[in-house]
Amino acid sequence: MPKLSAKLARIVLPVLALGGLYLLALHKHAQRQDIRGAAVVLTPGCSEKLGHYALVPGRQYESPYVLQRTGARITLRGYSEEDVRAIQRGCNIIDDTQGRLAADPWRERWNAKRFMRGSHASCDHCHRGIGDLQDAAGNRLIGSNSLAASWIGGDMYDRFTGMLLPYELRQMQCYINSSNGYKPNIADDVIRDVTAYSRFLSAALDLKIANHYEEQGIDEIPASATLKQGDDYIRGEALYKEKCQGCHGRGGMGLEVNGQLIAPAVAGPNAWNMQSRNNFYFVSTILSGFICRNMPPGQSNTLEHQECRDIAFYISNLPRPAGDRQGPLAAVQQQFLMAVIPPLLRLSAPGKAPPQPPLEHASSKTPRLVPLENGE
Amino acid sequence: MNRIARVPTLAALAVIIAFLLWAHLASGIPVFRSEVPPEPGWDKFRARYGIDHFGEDGQFVRAVQNGYNLFFYTYKYAPRFTRKSAGDQSNSCGACHTAEDLAYSFVNSDRFDPTLGTRLSFDDRVRRCYAGSVDGFVPTVFDPAVRDIRLLARAVAHHLQLSEGALRRKED
Repeated sequence: MPKLSAKLARIVLPVLALGGLYLLALHKHAQRQDIRGAAVVLTPGCSEKLGHYALVPGRQYESPYVLQRTGARITLRGYSEEDVRAIQRGCNIIDDTQGRLAADPWRERWNAKRFMRGSHASCDHCHRGIGDLQDAAGNRLIGSNSLAASWIGGDMYDRFTGMLLPYELRQMQCYINSSNGYKPNIADDVIRDVTAYSRFLSAALDLKIANHYEEQGIDEIPASATLKQGDDYIRGEALYKEKCQGCHGRGGMGLEVNGQLIAPAVAGPNAWNMQSRNNFYFVSTILSGFICRNMPPGQSNTLEHQECRDIAFYISNLPRPAGDRQGPLAAVQQQFLMAVIPPLLRLSAPGKAPPQPPLEHASSKTPRLVPLENGE
Repeated sequence: MNRIARVPTLAALAVIIAFLLWAHLASGIPVFRSEVPPEPGWDKFRARYGIDHFGEDGQFVRAVQNGYNLFFYTYKYAPRFTRKSAGDQSNSCGACHTAEDLAYSFVNSDRFDPTLGTRLSFDDRVRRCYAGSVDGFVPTVFDPAVRDIRLLARAVAHHLQLSEGALRRKED
């Protein structure tokens, strides 16, 4: 008799466990369906962006941006209410990936945070202007990492992975490396909503499939675009302290005041990992390009190419999480450094601002690059 | 004794080597080679839709060519995902759709489908076609049988200079 009950238990318990998992999956599925049908509370940035592009449900869509810029009325297929909500959620995810502005990040951002280890990263930090950076006159900016142009250019050969990279897989890479996190499923709403938003942006800007647009990706700065002095840690550190530390903090750890993120970490546990394309040792041209085009805020395009490379070189030497290709030893080393360096920095900072180098420091060392007649 | 013990190992090794040689040199199975077999009509298609814009050769162009083969010779290039054979009348995607259909479907995908009550991506639609229209099985979303049809659609959409949500004009 005890043998029989043991046998029964061996059958019934797994069946009950599987049944429980099935019920849980049904519950989660219904919950997701519920969120898909719920009205979306837009972030202020998304409210402005989507309002500017006149996103409303309807049978047809006409972009006011295209009308204003070209005078042409281009009629495209409109969006259903479900599509509009997906686009709105996608915009929110880009603008506020961690759900800092959301009352309930699980519902309003699909809890995108579950795919990130740090507490700082947000898509909008790199894809600025909520993925569609424009100047005051509405001109799209070169090398501004536009999500619309990125969608248009999706599925093309990617030199870093050596494969034809679909847009969805590119998003996954961002979660893994730039956010130092985990890979969402390709069919997860967190991926599909961002795709919906990017596709809408490309419609609003009237970009044509597989054309190349200047705003796609970063305007990279290779060593050949400098006077070839070589990238320098000491110069980079001095420049960082002068131009970046005020916002990004000592050691690049980012700045938070009363729980509000002022500037994201560029090093340490909250920053991108060593496998990210932002890491100078993986790709030396991207972070420098981003710095030159975007930093410091309000003074973009004021740094010399060499200065940007020096700052990128310095930042990339600060400790940060290892990526999936660096191996366990590098991971342990980085974790150790990330644990040790912040307390040392605090000890060495007696509560006052770090000494500021003179403003003309860098430019006096690196004259602005001018095109030469022989094209060098 | 030692020699006798080695016989099964050597035999297994020989089988593996023989399989590899057969797969690469004699099988004719396309997954083992990077070149895509040219099917009738490819050169015409290539010229008509300006595929050379993406280069004469390269991963993208080869994927587009494979997409062409999948689209017009589905029974031959996706036998795992269709029960149709050469003798069937509607045995390929091209039997029901044109390349332009594909391109317009691509730029109008990722939209809500009221009949299914869900948002459908282009890949979802292709997978549904495998399961339904060609009476077969559903490939994974990463399978080249799905990806290369999407790439074919992208290349044709580029040639037609379509933007997201482009509506089909009557003359198309």
